[in-house]
Amino acid sequence: MLEIKDLHVNVFGKEILKGLSLKVPPGEVHAIMGPNGAGKSTTSYTLAGRAGYEVTGGQIDLFGEDITGLSPEERAAKGIFLAFQYPLEIPGVSTMNFLKTAMNAQAKLRGEKELDAAQFLRIVRAAAKELNISEDMLKRPLNVGFSGGEKKRNETLQMALLKPKLAILDEMDSGLDIDALKLVAEGVNKLRAPDRSFLVITHYQRLLDYIQPDVIHILSGGKIVLSGDKSLALQLEENGYDAVINKAA
Amino acid sequence: MGKVVSLDNLLASMEARRTDVAPWLGALLGEAGEKFAHLGLPNRRVEAWRYSDLAKALHESVKLEADADAPPEFPGACLAAFENGVLVDKLSSYCAMGAISLRKALAQQDPAVAAHIGKINPQQDHPIVNLNTALMEEGLVLHVPRDVTMATPLHLRFNWSDVETQGDDGRHLRLLVVLEEGASATIFESHDGAPSFATIVSEFRLAANSSLRHIRLENFAAAARQTAVTLAEIGEKATYRGFYLSQGGHFARHEALLKLAGEQSFAEMDGAYLVADKRHCDNTTVVTHAAPNTASKQTFRGVLAGAGRGVYQGCVQVEQAAQKTDAKQLSRALLLSHRAEIVTKPELEIFADDVKCSHGATAGELDANALFFLRARGIPEAQARALLVEAFLAEALDTIGDEVLRAPAAEMVRKWLARHAGEASHVE
Repeated sequence: MLEIKDLHVNVFGKEILKGLSLKVPPGEVHAIMGPNGAGKSTTSYTLAGRAGYEVTGGQIDLFGEDITGLSPEERAAKGIFLAFQYPLEIPGVSTMNFLKTAMNAQAKLRGEKELDAAQFLRIVRAAAKELNISEDMLKRPLNVGFSGGEKKRNETLQMALLKPKLAILDEMDSGLDIDALKLVAEGVNKLRAPDRSFLVITHYQRLLDYIQPDVIHILSGGKIVLSGDKSLALQLEENGYDAVINKAA
Repeated sequence: MGKVVSLDNLLASMEARRTDVAPWLGALLGEAGEKFAHLGLPNRRVEAWRYSDLAKALHESVKLEADADAPPEFPGACLAAFENGVLVDKLSSYCAMGAISLRKALAQQDPAVAAHIGKINPQQDHPIVNLNTALMEEGLVLHVPRDVTMATPLHLRFNWSDVETQGDDGRHLRLLVVLEEGASATIFESHDGAPSFATIVSEFRLAANSSLRHIRLENFAAAARQTAVTLAEIGEKATYRGFYLSQGGHFARHEALLKLAGEQSFAEMDGAYLVADKRHCDNTTVVTHAAPNTASKQTFRGVLAGAGRGVYQGCVQVEQAAQKTDAKQLSRALLLSHRAEIVTKPELEIFADDVKCSHGATAGELDANALFFLRARGIPEAQARALLVEAFLAEALDTIGDEVLRAPAAEMVRKWLARHAGEASHVE
């Protein structure tokens, strides 16, 4: 599904990713862990196509198609979804209006039929109920005045509605207490499917207790230095990044 | 090409206007004419006109295009239809609410006119107010008696479709609205097409406990040249609420000069301006707090695209007697293009010591983070930009409250966004 080949990325003229390679087969959950400054956020923004993240070498393939030069909206239409570490507050745009605009925009980009108002309402209400998101939250401006947990639940709702092929969860656990984390992880786990892959980007092992990965990659100095199963996370927890990375080197 | 409006033409017309009128009116017109002859057409050497040089704009040639939208329909309102600066009775229904034309009121020597005109928040040295007074002929007078609530809004529809009929001295319209104690009214102004040069001066007297809702939509064509002045004197516990929406023109300026004259009076203004191409839009306000315990609140939001130019000058004056004044002022501008320009000039003149006055101004581009967020959800860039601009303006539109009054404003915003909001700031 996703294949990143020898990716080099500059941000503000400074090279942050220095030959990142990674393969995520369909249906699998891969985690990228790494110390601060390793290039975790750069990886997620580059995959989503953010301006200012300049690819200087290598490429990103999705289902065998090179998507390196595509705009964020084109990537979204092809099935890439980035759950933001800090979801944006947008005053003046209701959550409902935003969801409808996004769903219809993606349908249009894919050449599919847009939803009518009744279909849309039915789908949104059902998905919102699953995630314990109230009707009131849907009417409020997007993320304005939402708690950390509400914002992440809202991200999960968007994921459920947009049905991505590849979901990138960027530090999903930041700003969440244990109860909120459990609820969000439960929402994510429900979305696991044979044709959907996840890339879970996290600093802490804690999140991986709730969203169990098939493979863990350790990112350091802009490239993957070590990959393994979930026991890798426990090693990190015990010995810290330095020890594990040094041992790998 | 528009007509050439010159100082000489204006002064000659004033001379002609003064012949064969009643002595009281002759004196009023004469005095204003003399003042104007002394002041001249305002230009950038006059501080209040520094960023909006009317004299220069009147010398520039304008390209007339048939790009005007049709004026908004307003079902249920009483209509005063001004076509190319002339009040057309057969299109109007204002008589139903007791309004009369200024022409008639002046001819009949209406005592209300003599008592109030030129006397509401008077501006002795204002070039445009003097110009307008010296040439006033067309207009409307509305008198709302004590404790009467006008059931329907008054729609003042100014439509400028034909330059040839507008004369070489411009058109100068005058409105006088007197609300007696406890009265209330809604006035909805629409300005469409391209006046070659128009001045409109509106005088509102709000007696104690009265309230006025005032909505202005300037949906001008690109060639429009107009400068309008709203003068209001707001009595004890009376309320003025203004909403101003403009898409500018070759030269479009609106001044709101409000005087909070009675205790516990309140004035609120919400403005939005959408300025694209090479248009110019000026919002100038002067709020004078002249009595204790008065409050004012103004919020102006601008969206500037292309080589559009917006001006916001907001002055709050607090007189010595006006203790416990609460005045708030906020200006926010969104620049969609590197060629667009916003000039913001807040001024506070405070002569009382126990007051709360705040002002703030911001100007910036669309938030890059928000834009990326929307695009990452699959919303194309132009649509994402439009959504963010719409969101920025929604807060202004929401202040209108009433859905019927809001609809024409929302429609104007929607049309403008469809034309201009997708314009990108970084690809100029």
